[in-house]
Amino acid sequence: MKKVISFSVLGLLLLMFLDACKKDSPEEEPSPVPTTPGNETVTVNLDSVPYTNLSQYRFFTGDMKNNTPNDGVIQYRPASELFTDYAHKKRFVWVPAGMKGTYVADNKIINFPVGTALIKTFYYDNVQPANVTKIIETRVMIRKSTGWIFADYIWSEDQTEATLSVNGSLVSLDWEEAGTPKSTVYRIPSETECLICHKSNSLPIPIGIKPQNLDNDFTYPSGKFNQLQYFISKGILENNLPPNIVSTIDYHDTTQTLKLRLRSYLDTNCGHCHQENSHCDYRPIRLAFSETTDPVNLGQCVTPDDLFDPTLSNVIFPGNYNKSMMYFRLSSTDENNRMPLLGRTIVDEAGLKLLRDYISSISNCTD
Amino acid sequence: MKNTLLTLAFIMLFKLISVAQQTCNTALVITAGINTIAPITGTEVPTQMCATGGSGATAANWYKYTPSQNYSVTITTDFVVNAGVDNRVHVYLGSCGFLACLVGDDDGGTNGLCVVSFNAQAGTDYYIVFDDIYTSAGFQYELIENSINPSQLTFTPTTISTIRGNYKIAVADMNGDYLDDIVSVSDTNIQVHQQDISGTFTISNYTTTDAQYSPSWSMAMGDLNEDGYNDLLYGSGSGVTFMLSANGGTAFNQVSGPEYVFSQRSNMVDINNDGHLDAFVCHDVEPNVYYLNDGTGNLTFYQGGLGDHPNGGNYGSIWVDYNNDNLPDLFIAKCRGGSSTANINEMHRNNGNGTFTDVSVLTGLADPVQTWSSAWNDFDNDGWMDVLVGASSSANGMHKLMHNNGDGTFSNITAGSGFDSYSGMSTEYVSYDFNNDGFADVFTPGYILFNNGNGTFTAETYSMLMGAVGDLNNDGFLDIQNGNTIYFNDGNPNNWITLTVKGTTSNNNGIGARVEIYGAWGKQIRDIRAGVGFRYMGTLNAHFGIGLFNSIDSVVVKWPSGNKDVICNPSINSVLHIEENSAPVATAFFTASATMINQADTIDFTDNSIPCPNEWNWTVNPTSGWNFTSGTTAMSENPSILFNDAGTYVVSLTATNGNGSSLIPFSTAITVQSTVGIAELTQEAIKVFPNPAADLLYIKSDQTISEVRILSLLGEELASSLKRTNNSISLTHLPSGVYFLKIITQDNQINITRFVKQ
Repeated sequence: MKKVISFSVLGLLLLMFLDACKKDSPEEEPSPVPTTPGNETVTVNLDSVPYTNLSQYRFFTGDMKNNTPNDGVIQYRPASELFTDYAHKKRFVWVPAGMKGTYVADNKIINFPVGTALIKTFYYDNVQPANVTKIIETRVMIRKSTGWIFADYIWSEDQTEATLSVNGSLVSLDWEEAGTPKSTVYRIPSETECLICHKSNSLPIPIGIKPQNLDNDFTYPSGKFNQLQYFISKGILENNLPPNIVSTIDYHDTTQTLKLRLRSYLDTNCGHCHQENSHCDYRPIRLAFSETTDPVNLGQCVTPDDLFDPTLSNVIFPGNYNKSMMYFRLSSTDENNRMPLLGRTIVDEAGLKLLRDYISSISNCTD
Repeated sequence: MKNTLLTLAFIMLFKLISVAQQTCNTALVITAGINTIAPITGTEVPTQMCATGGSGATAANWYKYTPSQNYSVTITTDFVVNAGVDNRVHVYLGSCGFLACLVGDDDGGTNGLCVVSFNAQAGTDYYIVFDDIYTSAGFQYELIENSINPSQLTFTPTTISTIRGNYKIAVADMNGDYLDDIVSVSDTNIQVHQQDISGTFTISNYTTTDAQYSPSWSMAMGDLNEDGYNDLLYGSGSGVTFMLSANGGTAFNQVSGPEYVFSQRSNMVDINNDGHLDAFVCHDVEPNVYYLNDGTGNLTFYQGGLGDHPNGGNYGSIWVDYNNDNLPDLFIAKCRGGSSTANINEMHRNNGNGTFTDVSVLTGLADPVQTWSSAWNDFDNDGWMDVLVGASSSANGMHKLMHNNGDGTFSNITAGSGFDSYSGMSTEYVSYDFNNDGFADVFTPGYILFNNGNGTFTAETYSMLMGAVGDLNNDGFLDIQNGNTIYFNDGNPNNWITLTVKGTTSNNNGIGARVEIYGAWGKQIRDIRAGVGFRYMGTLNAHFGIGLFNSIDSVVVKWPSGNKDVICNPSINSVLHIEENSAPVATAFFTASATMINQADTIDFTDNSIPCPNEWNWTVNPTSGWNFTSGTTAMSENPSILFNDAGTYVVSLTATNGNGSSLIPFSTAITVQSTVGIAELTQEAIKVFPNPAADLLYIKSDQTISEVRILSLLGEELASSLKRTNNSISLTHLPSGVYFLKIITQDNQINITRFVKQ
């Protein structure tokens, strides 16, 4: 407890210092930490990022493939995670020393300062034939004064370095998922593919790092803490959160209601495109967590725009998943039918079962 | 007691009914009207599902309907009293054990109830089956008999179970006979149902290497490597694969580029007007891409210059000549959510030299409506391509019918057109004349919006969804493929013509050519296009209906090369094949009312040039001593000439038709006698035949012939002989060409006749 307080005090001092700076030169970007040979602190020089190699940021210490976060690099995990062909993920945030993100709304990205980096590593365990862990890529988003940029780093075969790639590529993978052999042609996205989901009104944005997804516990090396409180304690988030945050939950948590689980699942898997100002907001559904309190936004008894198959007469047909377009889309692997559009080539059986259970559990449009 | 009896009677009745409808063989005979269906307990579950929703039913009730006369029949369960019931209906033709699906419906009514319509023929048995896939409770239904509207177009669904493959999305010719084939693709196979002239299909399977990219978003076809067989383009979400034909269309070689392309609509078209077909692919999230062809199928990837919005939004490209310069222009139907400009439709004018000018705003087509495809055709037959911009979503406005003003601009004529009240939406809109009435219609899943020819369209519902369009039984009426079901167009009395084209200077498929037909109704036009609508590949043939008109004056093909072919008076209700530059130029020919006259007499000349001359140029040598009369001139079709001075004149005609001028003029010698002291001559009858002649030329005359000479067109004497036994002259020694035959009679009269040696 003492430790937490001391952090907060330090954070407050830093904030005051920063405010003072700001008054002098409001337009200036924060100066990067000077890089000298042997300096092991994180460095994100906004004039030269994205770097060619992931190691140049020094986000990780020790053997890089272990993704052990360097000082100031803080791991987090949203309550429900996006399904991308069973890829495992580690997410980190780094905020320039002395700066903080601020709460905007439960369902809005934390407003992190210019210079912030979000780091997300995609890897698989039990990759065949050697049955090893294999890191595929580490995606980095960096907030410049002009907005967020994407930088995707593809890991070398020997897992010692990852190199910047903007064009995307394909990786054939065979692995065992909970003992079951699986395979896919994994798509490493190009910069434009990143933007398909990561945007609002055509401008690049992060997706997961919202208060609604982080007001839950995560096990850090020092113990299990509420992620938002941990951010505050580490001085990267201003301590002005409202008392209650309307939150998503882990959709795997069967103690929760089917509706809450499904809404959480849809938010993380679909909401980035199916919400106002996003890629597919011309379709009638709105699947962001804050919007799905209204069953109409979920698509219940909503006729799809397109006459596609007369049996799929509603986006969600209460009581009958075989007549529900959403179920058809989630169960398809055809590129032109499947949803989400990108990020998966395999059916997410757990998500599909959740949707099936939910649809079977309701009988009315307003349920 | 009474109660008991009643109950007993009810039970017996119920039992009778439930037994009667358990199986096909015990199907309950029904007639028109409202009836009640007992709970679904029938033991025979049909194996073939006519309605969507798949298998899974465990019981079904069977009914048999045999109409007394032809009716348009509707079966509906869409009644309030049926609330809570979710039923499904299948309608079969045939006999028990040998049933074939006719139609079916799952949710055509409200809340899971069904409505299905079909045309029923007098005396035919129709088996109507309700199954329990969703609910097994009984319900009310009504069978309605409507008299058939003779003008309504119908389609007969026919299952072709042998069509296999993951992508059953293409109908176009594969073997070079210009009959539409069914092309179905899997990652390692191309299956072709080749249409034979007999109306059957011959199945071929061509193994390919594993396609790096599947046609998950669209497919296009055309002859890229110019071997006479069409090649395939697969547009996937991450790249593009080409399958190029080899060995006379019996093998396919894969070419897949490394480039990331989030494909949407793909097309084949000669983008840089070099006579070689190129390929174009809409990119969903980047500037569009295209592949330029060196003429051997070597393709070079390009990105930029044809719709360069950095975030893409490109869904439905269609190459259409909107400004009638015989160059295909590029229209892109666009879509994008959020505050973006990527959803604004684009038009790019083809400058003919590989460059394009963005005229989206200039044309008035820069519309933010969310559209995935738009249907282009000349809806009012004014000779200019119009467009139905079809909405995929109502978020940024609905459908717009845009009239091409012919001056580079378009006007919104949606109001009152029928599209303003049409609330259906789709990613797919294509335009063809399905009922052959001479006015291009619009097809979108489940509906054909028939063009009434007066600026209005009437939407009619159909059970077919979007699919590849082509003529799969070569009857001049366009059919639609939905997976394994071909919806064969039942046709009507309207007349038609189908034009198949082959480019020579232009690309092999003649893609980008403008095809026109002229007749008593005026004009109709089509573009040859590869890739219309959003996803499917349809016929490369130009298809026209002409209603009940029974002749066509001429067919004109304007090729992208600038060449033009005109065919006169083609046969109707048939297929006409036109190869670039093959239509004949005019052959000049005329007759004269006399060839020997007196001074100051007039000769009337009658043009007999073929085919379809439209310009004439008459010359007379020497150039003086005569003049045109009766208001005619040297440009008249049938001039009259007054010969003032005695002498010999040569009158020549050069005729021109849509394909060009006659290569050699037709000439006739005129002898004008002085009226001073000379007795009036009588016109002798000398006939020379056949003309053109092969080896022998016959001469028939009332007079005795003393001499025959063959002259070149320059008057040079070539040969002279006459077999007097049969009045013929041998031509075997003459090269093919045009000659004069000079015949001198015993009384020294001279007759000069033009003939052709074959």
